[in-house]
Amino acid sequence: MIKNIIMNGLYNNNAIFKQMLGLCPTLAVTTSALNAVGMGLATTAVLTGSNFVISIVAKYIPKNVRIPSYIVIIACFVTIIDQLMKANMYSLHKVLGIFIPLIVVNCIVLGRAEAFASKNKPLYSIIDGISVGLGFTLALFILGSIREIIGAGTFFNMPVMLSSYNPLLIAILPPGAFLFLGFIFAGKQFLDDKIQGEK
Amino acid sequence: MKSYFKSVLTITIITITAGVMLALSHNATKDKIAYQERQEVLNALKSVLPLHNNEPDKDIILKDGLKVFVAKKDGEVTGYAVNVIETSGYGGAISVLTGVDRKGLITGVAIIYHSETPGLGDKIEDKEFLQSFEGLKINDRIAVKKDGGSIEQFSGATISPRAVAKAVNNSLKVINEAAGFSK
Amino acid sequence: MEHFLLLFLGAALVNNIVLSRFLGICPFMGVSKSSETAVGMSLSVAFVMTISSTVSFIIDKYVLIPLGLENLRTIVFILIIAALVQFVEMVIEKTLPQLYAGLGIYLPLITTNCAVLGVALLNVQYEYTFLEMIVFSFGTAAGFGLALVLFSLLRERIEHSTVPKYFKGMPIVFITAGILSLAFMGFSGMVK
Repeated sequence: MIKNIIMNGLYNNNAIFKQMLGLCPTLAVTTSALNAVGMGLATTAVLTGSNFVISIVAKYIPKNVRIPSYIVIIACFVTIIDQLMKANMYSLHKVLGIFIPLIVVNCIVLGRAEAFASKNKPLYSIIDGISVGLGFTLALFILGSIREIIGAGTFFNMPVMLSSYNPLLIAILPPGAFLFLGFIFAGKQFLDDKIQGEK
Repeated sequence: MKSYFKSVLTITIITITAGVMLALSHNATKDKIAYQERQEVLNALKSVLPLHNNEPDKDIILKDGLKVFVAKKDGEVTGYAVNVIETSGYGGAISVLTGVDRKGLITGVAIIYHSETPGLGDKIEDKEFLQSFEGLKINDRIAVKKDGGSIEQFSGATISPRAVAKAVNNSLKVINEAAGFSK
Repeated sequence: MEHFLLLFLGAALVNNIVLSRFLGICPFMGVSKSSETAVGMSLSVAFVMTISSTVSFIIDKYVLIPLGLENLRTIVFILIIAALVQFVEMVIEKTLPQLYAGLGIYLPLITTNCAVLGVALLNVQYEYTFLEMIVFSFGTAAGFGLALVLFSLLRERIEHSTVPKYFKGMPIVFITAGILSLAFMGFSGMVK
């Protein structure tokens, strides 16, 4: 069971690659690997917290006010994370800016609350929150690294390309986000196809 | 009717609990947030102002709705700084902090925020570019080379450096009036 | 007057909410399969966005700020939006059943459309006046509609073109969005 939850969250049902949820922060904050990881971990924290609380209280909430209740719980966690980040990681908070409060409307969080946490035990829900969150972080990290290396020639702000490398700016500009995510999806379809072919 | 009542009750309890949680976390973090925000201002001021040991963010002169920060060392004025927001950037507003010494010579320029194009206009954040303003004063022609000044513009972008030069000029005017330098 | 026109164009074209700020990507990808639903979605978003921004703005200015409750912004704004969406849904269901059938499950999804919450938060962040706020919200909504409708028209054409094997489905859609975003970049520098 636990192994299944982890594999589903990380790869089989990866929020970005498989379900295409939470695309807004994916495109917006992946201009560098560091931002991508910061955003991913903030989302993971919210997801784990909200999954835990919702799995406990879900059975007491009447069906017709389910969604508003979940949103309030999620918004509460988001605001707390927002304040904690502002107090302890001020410069990262400044870069991620408006996308921290916007975790509230990240479809992944509400989606997991509805599809998993409301039907499962707290322990499983926490594990689900962490795995889905890390799967999301992983996807952001891949896109963020590719964009940073190609678009700025750096990786976690460390130069990794030859000094003669002329960064391909488009990678960190808005259109680059769409283009590179498109290429990554194509790459994934190619890989999946190859894996299937071997079986 | 009973289920209606239960719904309202549930949502009320959840909202109140959330409110209490947030009040607690707000109380726990607000001092640290205020400290961080102030630290950011102080750091920026430190980078553009001459040596000082007062708190320039508390020692201010109001001029045309702008705050002129005054730097003092052992009670004596050593310089001034002002933060101007220039809207003629390529991507939008650029916030520029300019510091001068007590004679009115620029000691430092810092970009607080901007939304210029990455890789082109955002070179206004480069040290070399910002250092080219140092030592200039109000009567010098502060402009990019294309406009007959001494500031090096960089290839592919003139609008961003031009906007910064404009902001620095405006800052000097404000400081001059506030500090009462002779022209 | 010029100031408001520039603000409008800036919000609609230069800093297009979808293509340059990356808000509202989910409906942008989700309902852009046919131009008909795209138009319906744009209209309901425009409606919800303008009203919810106005209500959020008023509540922020006259309730939250005087009481020193700025830290509750996110939670209050999302509740306002959720309530408004519910209301709009009921109205459309009663008055325009055909449109309701077309939009189907996407109406409730406006609640989790980050563009709507995003604009409400941006209005506060940019410290707009009331009029500026209205113009900005409406401009943003117009930009969202423009991008969505253009994109749905493009997607209708992709349906009939030959796409390389591994680019079928989502990859080609993203690459098309990238090219559209590239085109919108041409607007930057237009508004000074």
